[in-house]
Amino acid sequence: MGTVYITQDDCFIGKTDERLNIRANKQKLLDVPLINIEGVVIMGRATVSPAVVTELLNRHIPLSFLTTTGRYLGRLEPELTKNIFVRKAQWQAAGETEKSLHLVRGFIRGKLKNYRTALLRKQRERTDGNFQTATDRLKQILSSLTSTATIDSLRGLEGAGSAAYFQCFDALIRSEGFRFEARRRRPPTDPVNALLSLGYSLLSHDIQSAVNIVGFDPYLGYLHVERYGRPSLALDLMEEFRPIVVDAMVLNAINNRIITPADFTTEPISNAVSLTPEALRTFLRLYEQKKQSNFTHPVMGKKCTYQESFEIQGRLMAKYLMEEIEQYPPLVLK
Amino acid sequence: MNNSDYITIAALNQYSYCPHRCWRMFCAGEFRDNHYTLDGTNLHERVHTLGEGNREEMWQVRAIWLKSEQYQLIGKADLIESVEGEVYPIEYKRGKKGEWDNDELQVCAQALCLEEMMGKTIERGYVYYAQTRRRQAVEITEELRQEAIATLEAISNLLQTGTMPPPIYTKRCRGCSLFHQCLPQAADKVKRYQEAS
Ligand code: SF4
Repeated sequence: MGTVYITQDDCFIGKTDERLNIRANKQKLLDVPLINIEGVVIMGRATVSPAVVTELLNRHIPLSFLTTTGRYLGRLEPELTKNIFVRKAQWQAAGETEKSLHLVRGFIRGKLKNYRTALLRKQRERTDGNFQTATDRLKQILSSLTSTATIDSLRGLEGAGSAAYFQCFDALIRSEGFRFEARRRRPPTDPVNALLSLGYSLLSHDIQSAVNIVGFDPYLGYLHVERYGRPSLALDLMEEFRPIVVDAMVLNAINNRIITPADFTTEPISNAVSLTPEALRTFLRLYEQKKQSNFTHPVMGKKCTYQESFEIQGRLMAKYLMEEIEQYPPLVLK
Repeated sequence: MNNSDYITIAALNQYSYCPHRCWRMFCAGEFRDNHYTLDGTNLHERVHTLGEGNREEMWQVRAIWLKSEQYQLIGKADLIESVEGEVYPIEYKRGKKGEWDNDELQVCAQALCLEEMMGKTIERGYVYYAQTRRRQAVEITEELRQEAIATLEAISNLLQTGTMPPPIYTKRCRGCSLFHQCLPQAADKVKRYQEAS
């Protein structure tokens, strides 16, 4: 089971029997049984046959379109589940409600705790870097989450916590030729930011699928407010996963020199930085490996993959909204 | 006629297996096939396409729609047989007889429909288990009728209100195709969970 990423421009994506096949320049690049596919992500230009479109919709396999640099463009959305009860609960909690506040606190707490854990671990591993200020600051922000009563001020805390963490990010990099100054998006103009942005894009595709499967409307969020065409709820749920999935794999790729400065190209004028086609494939493989790796889910006490945990967190969120459980437990790893 | 106002006979089976499962399937519209249900469907398709056939003093009708106005019940019977004037429904099941008697309820529901449609009393039905190739007789006793009617009322109430019966973790959960959607242990686990600081 896995996601198929199509990175080669001008591919033709067709179907024979129960298999998806991808061709370019009259060559067969890939031939996989549809039963093994959980999602399809097209990065760049591709032609998708009508038969494939129908088949993906029938099998509830989402298809996302990203640019070659990983910017999200849109997606082919299979019919969602008919669980109106989940949606009703989601809408009822919209705005400044007890439930939305609880969830927003959970998303932020999850993310900031995971940030702090990452820094504390690095602190133990080495003697040079000093993350004390940042971990103290994160701790202080974490303790003020409970007494903060509006979503806007919670957003402020989230911003402050992220800033504290990203101030240390450069020190987490232990590889010649890579620097991190500050988080830069749209377009990222340095390799580290380019990798983070790409990783977050891939993650958002997966979290949106999880949120859809549970039956939510992905466009109604609590921390992220509705903006046309933005999967706000997916972005909400993504927060707790950013550090443990994307940041961890990006640091691993850089620090173990799986990806090196030579793997990037810079566009003239815009200075947008992107991976070479081959390095992009490496990165996608790393991301897929990360998703399929196992860990013990702290709440359920069972082994699961990160991929499965996206859905588990979505289901726990639904259970909280439907009052089956009293609180939403964000995924916090030790 | 609006079929959605009727209770499908299959819902009885689901409800007696687990009310929460019944809610997920018929109220929340969630249904993911696992291989058990897929096998079940294939078997049903086979039974349902055989059509009508006759054999000596007995007649058989396959894949017939049954309906009861009184109980607002609708569903397909795998096989209806008649021998020497006695009519009875036969329900096909993959596998062998399970640990709970929900198959009897389903046969009883079919009998209730048949009684209304044919104007005669149905005294028994059968469940055919494909794995053991055995027919198991089901006596339509007063007790079974009452149980079926009570279950129908509960389902009707469930469909009208949409109120979710809470998931309750039992050993049936392990064989339930909705386990990963339902996470029946979540409430307990969340209660005991201590988040890392
Ligand atoms: S997992 Fe258990 S509680 Fe949940 S629907 Fe199935 S049988 Fe019912």
